[in-house]
Amino acid sequence: MHSDLVISQSDGRPMYLQIMEQIKQRVAVGEWARGDEIPSIRQLAVALRVSVITVKRAYLELEREGVIVTQHGKGSMVAPDPDLSPRLYEQELAEHIDQAARLGTLLGLRTEELTSRLKRAAQRLIKEHV
Amino acid sequence: MNSISVRFEGVSKHYPHFTLDNIGFELPTGSILGFIGPNGAGKSTTIRILMGLIHQDQGAVHVLGRSMPAEQAAAKMDIGFVSEDMRLYAAATVGWHMEFIQSIYPRWDQSYAASLLQRFDLKPQQRIRGLSHGQRVKAALLLALARRPRLLVLDEPTTGLDPVARQEVLGELMAVLADEERTILFSSHNTLDVEQISDQIVFIDRGRIIDADDKESFLDRWRRLRLVLSQDAVLPRFSGIVDVAGSGLLPVLTTNCFEPRMISECQEMGATVQAVDTMTLEEIFVANVQSRRGGKLV
Amino acid sequence: MNVAMVKRLILKDWYLQRVPIIGSLIAGALALSVILFGGKPGFILGLILLVTVLIGVGAQLAVATMVFERKEQTLPFVMSLPISYKEYTASKILGNLIIFLILWLALLGGSFGVLAISPDKPFGLIPFVAIMATEILVSTCLIYTVALITEHQGWAIGAIITGNLALNGIGYYVAHIGSIAKGMEGHSIQWSPAASTILAAEFLIIVLMLGLTFLFQSRKKDFI
Repeated sequence: MHSDLVISQSDGRPMYLQIMEQIKQRVAVGEWARGDEIPSIRQLAVALRVSVITVKRAYLELEREGVIVTQHGKGSMVAPDPDLSPRLYEQELAEHIDQAARLGTLLGLRTEELTSRLKRAAQRLIKEHV
Repeated sequence: MNSISVRFEGVSKHYPHFTLDNIGFELPTGSILGFIGPNGAGKSTTIRILMGLIHQDQGAVHVLGRSMPAEQAAAKMDIGFVSEDMRLYAAATVGWHMEFIQSIYPRWDQSYAASLLQRFDLKPQQRIRGLSHGQRVKAALLLALARRPRLLVLDEPTTGLDPVARQEVLGELMAVLADEERTILFSSHNTLDVEQISDQIVFIDRGRIIDADDKESFLDRWRRLRLVLSQDAVLPRFSGIVDVAGSGLLPVLTTNCFEPRMISECQEMGATVQAVDTMTLEEIFVANVQSRRGGKLV
Repeated sequence: MNVAMVKRLILKDWYLQRVPIIGSLIAGALALSVILFGGKPGFILGLILLVTVLIGVGAQLAVATMVFERKEQTLPFVMSLPISYKEYTASKILGNLIIFLILWLALLGGSFGVLAISPDKPFGLIPFVAIMATEILVSTCLIYTVALITEHQGWAIGAIITGNLALNGIGYYVAHIGSIAKGMEGHSIQWSPAASTILAAEFLIIVLMLGLTFLFQSRKKDFI
């Protein structure tokens, strides 16, 4: 079960974020269902060949976000009511928007130009998915 | 059960051309500590002192609750050691070494040893003399792992291994950690390995510890800030700037104590923050060493 | 001192050196039979052969087990075992000494045996033979001491050469000590005070050298 998680070495983002994202994805699509037991921190660290401390951080953040619940002595499991959807990509979106704003300023774009570009990109995406 | 597996306090060792100076650190049970440093920094010397192979001139060393080198025989019963400069007996076979080790250590796990033989692609009848470098390293690791020691001490365990063998070894090391009573200390100048599996990281350069922290804190603290300065803007100064590179209008600041407020501070001083890059452990390592050698940091 | 570990280390060295050890024991047995059953010419020939094997294997085994651990870089492997310098030093000395003593006792037994069954009954030679045989033991212990303390091939070879030269020199000197020389011709064992003193001194030197070895080893701060 936990060997499904695949960590990329070349992904620039911190490993704990990658782990968090993949766990949230599994919960979002239902592969890890509510109330399901998930691997302990050590088990996942061994399976992924990643530091225990990194997995521990990922779990702590996930618990803080309400995605998982850890019971002392009993291990961890998916929260009965994981508050996922808004947070799944919320932070990433915020970072990307900040980045786009910075780059836009560098390029000397006006705010309206920036927003219209964003609109066009979103529309392109809708067209591709149809 | 000890919560600290290895403790160094004020350890020093003097050689004519090299001094190991005031080494101190703690390794909690159940974690992995990675020693990073350039060649000749003192990693091997520190590890040898840990094993009692070299006696320190000053300072206290405690391993698994035992004082080194006084209680080294007892301590080594629970320590598995592999070092890059260690050789097995060339004329003997892999199988002979396995039997030899098995006769000494009661916790030898024969089924685990057999599975390691298979995974490392070694045969008991092979003579050490006929093995390639990578195979010798794996043989030595097998001998250390199959005993299931409480502490594994490894000096450059993946140096000279092909990428597939490296991942196998890292996998075996992590498997050791499945038991939270077992601990690993290893040194490497392969920062990828250290970055991947270490919990604690210690930087050594020229006989001194120049930085020590847990891995996540390291990766959190270090950032490269790519700035764009307007014509009349002044280069932002805060504490913790380790390096300033790039050109006059496009400076790149390297900091070792990043906080989000730095971004807004930069912007207040007229500098646009184009990007905030995380740094790999390798980049942190090089920046750390270069800045200290350049005298920019004490 | 962990006796079980010392035993394992000795067996390890004997296994790794099994070819020269078995070879020397076979050669020693051959030489002994030549001494005992070869008549007068056999005695000289067998004796030379046995002394050669003794000195040769004593030196070879010492260098192979004491100097080459460092040279072949197997020292970290051995010292990572649950031992201290005590077990290491004891195993090296005992491992070598036991093999050596087997051949040495063969030499002693063979020599005395021939003297006993010889019709001339040249028992006067016994003190001289005892002194010379013990001298071989002394020079071998010198090799052990130097090899273990220096772990250096050059110094060990120096000790081997010194020991051999000393053997010849002392042999000549002792044979010409008045009281001993007189007794050599006789048919009864005559332990002159000079002979007893020399013999006692030889054993004392052996004990001192081995003690010195342990002392030096205990002070070593760098084992690799």
